[in-house]
Amino acid sequence: MLKIIVPTIMLFPVTWYSNNSKIWINTTSYSLLISFMGLSFLNQPNNNSNNFSMNFFSDPLSSPLLILTMWLLPLMIMASQYHLKKEPWLRKKSYLSMLISLQMFLVMTFTANELILFYILFEATLIPTLIIITRWGNQTERLNAGLYFLFYTLIGSLPLLVALIHLQNSMGSLNLLTMNFWLKELPNSWSSNLLWMACIMAFMVKMPLYGFHLWLPKAHVEAPIAGSMVLAAVLLKLGGYGMMRITIILDPTTKAMAYPFLMLCLWGMIMTSSICLRQTDLKSLIAYSSVSHMALVIVAILIQTPWSFMGATALMIAHGLTSSMLFCLANSNYERIHSRTMLLARGLQTLLPLMATWWLLASLTNLALPPSINLIGELFVMMASFSWSNISIILMGLNMLITALYSLYMLITTQRGKPTFHTHNLNPSFTRENTLMSMHMLPLLFLTLNPKTILGPTL
Amino acid sequence: MLRRALRLGGGRGLVTRGPGSRGGGSTPGKDWDGKVSEIKKKIQSILPGGAWNPLYDTSHLPPEHSDVVIVGGGVLGLSVAYWLKKLEKRRGAIRVLVVERDHTYSQASTVLSIGGIHQQFSVPENIQLSLFSASFLRNINEYLAVVDAPPLDLQFNPLGYLLLASEKGAATMESNVRVQRQEGAKVCLMSPEQLRNKFPWINTEGVALASYGMENEGWFDPWCLLQGLRRKVQSMGVLFCQGEVTRFVSSSNHMKTTSGTEVTLKRIYEVHVKMDHSLEYQPVECAIVINAAGAWSGQVAELAGIGKGPPGTLQGTRLPVEPRKRYVYLWHCPQGPGLEAPLVTDISGAYFRREGLGNNYLGGLSPPEEEEPDPGNLEVDYGFFQDKVWPPLAQRVPAFETLKVRSAWAGYNDYNTFDQNGVVGPHPLVVNMYFAAGFSGHGLQQAPGVGRAVAEMVLEGHFQTIDLSPFLFSRFYLGEKIQEQVII
Repeated sequence: MLKIIVPTIMLFPVTWYSNNSKIWINTTSYSLLISFMGLSFLNQPNNNSNNFSMNFFSDPLSSPLLILTMWLLPLMIMASQYHLKKEPWLRKKSYLSMLISLQMFLVMTFTANELILFYILFEATLIPTLIIITRWGNQTERLNAGLYFLFYTLIGSLPLLVALIHLQNSMGSLNLLTMNFWLKELPNSWSSNLLWMACIMAFMVKMPLYGFHLWLPKAHVEAPIAGSMVLAAVLLKLGGYGMMRITIILDPTTKAMAYPFLMLCLWGMIMTSSICLRQTDLKSLIAYSSVSHMALVIVAILIQTPWSFMGATALMIAHGLTSSMLFCLANSNYERIHSRTMLLARGLQTLLPLMATWWLLASLTNLALPPSINLIGELFVMMASFSWSNISIILMGLNMLITALYSLYMLITTQRGKPTFHTHNLNPSFTRENTLMSMHMLPLLFLTLNPKTILGPTL
Repeated sequence: MLRRALRLGGGRGLVTRGPGSRGGGSTPGKDWDGKVSEIKKKIQSILPGGAWNPLYDTSHLPPEHSDVVIVGGGVLGLSVAYWLKKLEKRRGAIRVLVVERDHTYSQASTVLSIGGIHQQFSVPENIQLSLFSASFLRNINEYLAVVDAPPLDLQFNPLGYLLLASEKGAATMESNVRVQRQEGAKVCLMSPEQLRNKFPWINTEGVALASYGMENEGWFDPWCLLQGLRRKVQSMGVLFCQGEVTRFVSSSNHMKTTSGTEVTLKRIYEVHVKMDHSLEYQPVECAIVINAAGAWSGQVAELAGIGKGPPGTLQGTRLPVEPRKRYVYLWHCPQGPGLEAPLVTDISGAYFRREGLGNNYLGGLSPPEEEEPDPGNLEVDYGFFQDKVWPPLAQRVPAFETLKVRSAWAGYNDYNTFDQNGVVGPHPLVVNMYFAAGFSGHGLQQAPGVGRAVAEMVLEGHFQTIDLSPFLFSRFYLGEKIQEQVII
């Protein structure tokens, strides 16, 4: 792992000591190189893990997420170039340092061997994200958003700390590699229910689960573009990844305790999708669609079947790429029109046709069009949940329908229609923006050809 | 706190001290109430939900971002805000900020106007606008209803306008009335004989024809409309800010048209709003700017760079709106025309109407071009009344020979020097500035219709109900005047 961690840490001197005119190209290219290096993690011949050291390992579950994280850093840096243009050099470098430190923590989180190390890094990722949202966000509401984000996640995860320390005391070790082997059934008592709640709540808030999702629209909308990208693509998946790891030790309790959360997820999916239909703010729409997709992932993880785990992993990767791409598209709109309201930027297809192509592709993958991996994920989750309970197909089917509705609504409002007078002089799409979109879309399309890589540990 | 409680509690049991100490015990109590509400306000501003800057108080500043910024909070600006909020498809879709320099409206044309509304124009669009406004004003308590607020009483006096024409102007008047009738206005033509029968106080010497509006014409209280609009617009979620727009920050794109000429299109992305009596300003990031600044629309347009270019080109075409001062005089005449008197406009241009029920009348005259008063201040020239206004009025209405001027005021007329009709719609070069200004004296009566037209332009991209394309800015460059046929 040092081959990834040390270069990431070395990105700090790259930003601070580079020539001022070269910081963007240097950081972007080096982070791209690091992500290419990480592609070797995809070599997973079997279900076992690649153990790199006493502290780090990678697994068919964590390697796709790891590669997604590393792939996202150059994209985030490319996307931030425009809105940081007018800032002084010191602030630009601080912003990049925040992104790089976040990247470092995330890489270590996904490969952590031990649950307490995972927890520490999980919490550590909050700090650079909070700084990015509250310092570089666009509006005064960002302070509010930062507060919500920080306190929701912290309060959710404090019980997890207590639970982990208790488990460490009682079990002696929280090493993920050996956890499979000292599994004991949890006794059927109130204390195991509490333990279950304590372990799971942190990840539920992070995913987010429908009842605890209030922080997400605020944080996504107020964050600058790199913050939105990393939040949507990676930070939400931390919750999914953590839940998949920790449910190993929570075994029979999950069968009973998961019911309320499953109900909340199934209901929440439809609620948040319906809210998307009524949204006027573009970023807010994409944020609520994230909640909706993640609700599917929570359902998959709580059902605990091989197929659902495959669906969950596929959906996490697919949603990461799609959501991040949608945020980049919304940001390209915002940079031109200086407003996030969808209604004010209509008819863009005639003005920016190539960007319209990216909008179309992103909307199509968002609504899970075959044969994209979004569909594979959703399909597996749906089939698994159907086998868990036949009635859930109604809710899931309704959700798919509403997802298609709002994705198309977003596409048609922004792209079709008569362009307005105040869009007469839009800057044409920059090469940087087109590269950004293609770097999101091409992995998504290529993964359609070989989805085995992202189907996770139960393949 | 403890000490006070001990003192108050101990005061009863122990030896009672004089009333001085009891008074000393209760005044901190009164102070404490004020302190508690202050603390409560501070806590509320810190908790999530408020826009809070930890370093200094920003509650008086406008927000850092707004989708639409309306420069000018008079009746036109508020009308645009109202219709933007009414025609947006989802509630809360568009964030609107109205920036008004003077919240007392001491110099605004809206409140200094005499509040007349009539349909006797020659341009069909003007007639349609006034007709819509009349129906808006009739149903104002349905349009501008706010929960738990009392209904508005506009004091609409539907007494009509009476325009008088001499031999020379009779033909124009007939053709105008034909256009008005086509559009649906109810106007009737009267001969001098009929005039004398209907209004015995008129001296019909020199009058060949008169047109009298029978429905939807009259006068109303502009303050009431303004307050009603303000109340409603605030309840719909529009933000108000007291400040002056001092700068537009814009980005330019140099582009080429299909024929190869180079144009520079600008887009305003930030508006600097300066607070009153201080150097503090707030940059408001915006997507659309609406220029509804009334008499000062020309200055606001210059801030945006409209008119900076070689004359004769589109870049060099200014917004030709400038403030002109108009006087309104209030006089008392006990033998004057009765309660049924309409707003009479004489052949000379002098006009008067009844004001209230105490034999008071309002009136004035638009001075000819050469004798325009200086618009630097709003001082009233009573000599103008003596020399120019009184003689024609006294000739037309003999009862006005004995009158006593009670008071007078002056107001600005946002005069369009090009063709004295309004400017509506986007500017061809500054792509996100929309105009709703320059109505030269009939802005108040056309405000609801114009507001709706601008809102449709912003939200739909074209005029839907009333087609105001003759009023676009490009007519200044193309030289297409839409002038009212003035009746002499």
